[in-house]
Amino acid sequence: MPSVLLTESLALELGDRTGNSIPAHEPWPQDVKLFQPYEVEQILLPDNANCLAVQTFLKMCGLDFEVEQRSNAEYMSPSGRVPFIKCGAFLIAELDPIISFVNNKGISLSDKMDNAQKADMRAYMSLVNTVLANAELYITWCDKTTLQEVTKPRFGSVLPWPLNHVIVWQKRSQVVKKLGVLGWAHKTLDEVYQEVENCCNALSVRLGNQPYFFGDRPTELDALVFGHLFTILTTPLPNNRFASIVRGYSNLIDLCKLVEKEYFERTAES
Amino acid sequence: MNRPMEINIWGGDWGLPSVDIYCLEVMAYAKFSGVPLQTCVTNNPFWTPNGRLPVFKHGKQVLSSLPEISAYLKQKNFSADFGLTQKQCADAAAYTQLLKEKLHLALQYVWWLDTKNYTELIRPWYAKALPFPYNYYYPGKYEQEAKKHLEALYDQDDDPLTIESSVYGEAEKCLTVLSVRLGDQEFFFGSHPTSLDATVYAFLAPLLKVPFPSPALQNYLKACTNLVKFVVRITQRYFPYAIQEYEAKKSAESGAQGKSDPESDFPNRRRYQIVAGIFATAAMTGYALSTGLVQMSTKDEVSENSADYKDLFQAAENTED
Repeated sequence: MPSVLLTESLALELGDRTGNSIPAHEPWPQDVKLFQPYEVEQILLPDNANCLAVQTFLKMCGLDFEVEQRSNAEYMSPSGRVPFIKCGAFLIAELDPIISFVNNKGISLSDKMDNAQKADMRAYMSLVNTVLANAELYITWCDKTTLQEVTKPRFGSVLPWPLNHVIVWQKRSQVVKKLGVLGWAHKTLDEVYQEVENCCNALSVRLGNQPYFFGDRPTELDALVFGHLFTILTTPLPNNRFASIVRGYSNLIDLCKLVEKEYFERTAES
Repeated sequence: MNRPMEINIWGGDWGLPSVDIYCLEVMAYAKFSGVPLQTCVTNNPFWTPNGRLPVFKHGKQVLSSLPEISAYLKQKNFSADFGLTQKQCADAAAYTQLLKEKLHLALQYVWWLDTKNYTELIRPWYAKALPFPYNYYYPGKYEQEAKKHLEALYDQDDDPLTIESSVYGEAEKCLTVLSVRLGDQEFFFGSHPTSLDATVYAFLAPLLKVPFPSPALQNYLKACTNLVKFVVRITQRYFPYAIQEYEAKKSAESGAQGKSDPESDFPNRRRYQIVAGIFATAAMTGYALSTGLVQMSTKDEVSENSADYKDLFQAAENTED
């Protein structure tokens, strides 16, 4: 069985997707910044979920960072998607690359797990990334009421006329294209809710009575699930059925409360 | 409803019951859940409801994707997942999404976007399998779809090589995860195959068996020995006819090759010799006749004959007189 380590170390030597190579075991610098869009007036549901997941992951690792809010964070990002972190000379965007970047510093949330658990964790992260993330994109960009009442005003809030119409339209066609190739664009709203329901059910069954997905310690999966579920629960939308589906699973709600208490209230106090 | 359940599929080759992922998925699922299913190789997606194979037909029901088909079969009390606990069902859902997220694009890439594979193997195969005139349309259409898929997920400004290595890298990670999860077990959830096994088999079998000219990802899969054994086991146990057909075809081909080996530098030698001989003779005879080297003595014979007739007539007249 070939190990992933080989390809990963090779990728390290050759430089990763952003064109940076990462020196191993250099300490975490002090001035790490996480860039994201404005949380109050601009950010949309899918982006907010991803940003919150990365923030949670970094907090779970005990790494310091500062959140920088920029209206053009999306265009500053090397991959065109938010959030991204600036760590020394490196820019790394999105959760997966950030996780492998942090792992290369010798910090990992899942190092005590066996290989089978790591495999399961990857599979569940895929489940969240495909189902919840695509459902969020669908609701934000394909549902007509949400698009008119929430997405357009918020996304266009930082842009002058006529760009606030042009860029929204451009972004929408991009998202619809992506959902189209993934087989989501032709779904009806009810089918999307059904997918979300199935996904939450799978997550809830897997979580069972444990505090976190893999026992007493949080993992990358917990950060990702918290990022998505907490955002879904707290974002006001014209149709709140999305949130009410999640509310139907009490152990998932408990997970969200636990992570919020452990990692967000404590830092707010100190 | 005693009408047979029927499924229209893409044909098989290289020891596969079908070369298409989604056809294989449904066929394997039907085998695992014990459904008596008639397969019908149509190789033509034109008359299907959404332009894709497989198409599942039972009486008036016409369905085309595994979730729909498995829901329908469940109503008929056929399912491969009855023995699973809730937690195992959740795991199956998660791994299915993992395959769809990581491996599907990589397979499309190997199939349609790797230029060498596409021009040397895939396009000729589909062009041969599809009936005229669809063979001029579908291979190009599928290539365009794959291109669209890649463009939607990756930044087009990036270097194509970085995109390729990133697609393959994700797929390799996914294969490793599957290999770890399978371990030494016979199937993913013990000794009985389930819907997850059907999906994994459908994604891995074509990647393993098709003789790609550029086999980067295939070699990685071959290194995961437990996954290779998994694919071989399912093919042998549930689709033995595909292997037999392929071996018969291969041995027939190699037999034909063995006979024609001495003539392989010039096939059909004897036929060409005879044809050339006949042509040369005809040309020379024609030339000889046209230039008058050889003269046919038909005239003399006729005059001789006519002379004979005259004699005969004269003789006859003489006798009459």
